[in-house]
Amino acid sequence: MRNRAECEAVVGRLWPFLDGAIPESDRERIVGHLERCDNCSSHFAFARSFLEAVRQAKMSTDQYVSLRVRVMRSLSTRGFSESAK
Amino acid sequence: MDGERTPSKQPPLDRDAHAEFTRVALPLLPSVARVAFALSEDQSDADDLVQETYLRALKHWNTFAPGTDCKRWLSTICRNAFYEQRRRQLRMEPTEDEQLESLAAARLHNSAVAAGVGDMFDQLDLGPAIVRAIAALDPVFRSVLILSDEEGFSYEEISEMLSIPLGTVRSRLYRGRRKLQEALLAYAVDAGLARPGRPSPTERQVKNAEPR
Repeated sequence: MRNRAECEAVVGRLWPFLDGAIPESDRERIVGHLERCDNCSSHFAFARSFLEAVRQAKMSTDQYVSLRVRVMRSLSTRGFSESAK
Repeated sequence: MDGERTPSKQPPLDRDAHAEFTRVALPLLPSVARVAFALSEDQSDADDLVQETYLRALKHWNTFAPGTDCKRWLSTICRNAFYEQRRRQLRMEPTEDEQLESLAAARLHNSAVAAGVGDMFDQLDLGPAIVRAIAALDPVFRSVLILSDEEGFSYEEISEMLSIPLGTVRSRLYRGRRKLQEALLAYAVDAGLARPGRPSPTERQVKNAEPR
């Protein structure tokens, strides 16, 4: 049977938990709760998927080609040569 | 005397140093660009900041310790350049309660389930929408979110980079995530991706999700 107060306490630490920013003892307590509570577990899974989607959505490297050209042109005025490999 | 302030006095780098700069520093341009965008108000300022960062990085390349974290080294240069170029008035804002924001995340999940997109981040290609939604965030939230969730900096590192207290990093980050999630849920609904009243089998188990 679900304990609503415990669920609130666990879900209330959702972001710090996913960021690895809570003490180990708290982490173990939350992990234990999530193993027993599908409801809370689903909230954490949703948030984890959200964070992964944000990580994946970083602009592709291709979009920085023109910026790189600009930077290289600027660096070359200071004597930098990319071909000096 | 102060070679760092007099560009014409810097010792020229040799070919090996140029090659090392090309191999180590230049591939990190996308990361530097995202950090610059996190710090800046708009894309144009961010591009200027990237250029300035690489000019300074080249100038001080002989101070970079090989084998150490070049991304963090460049990010520090970027941050210093930003604060030197622009005297920024730090905005004061009340600290959001992290528990409230975490609970808000659960409520948003409930809303997503109710709209039939409880699996939106797993099943839908939201990449372009996420990029647009992050760009549309208030810079106060956007900067922390990019540094944390795209670039992987810790709360402590972000606190140092932005010169804001740790508690403010947390509150801005959690609030920024909530705003981003709200924007993406609205996007999913507006784009007709939602399936109201038709939860998937995995969604049914959280249909009555709490806490609310």
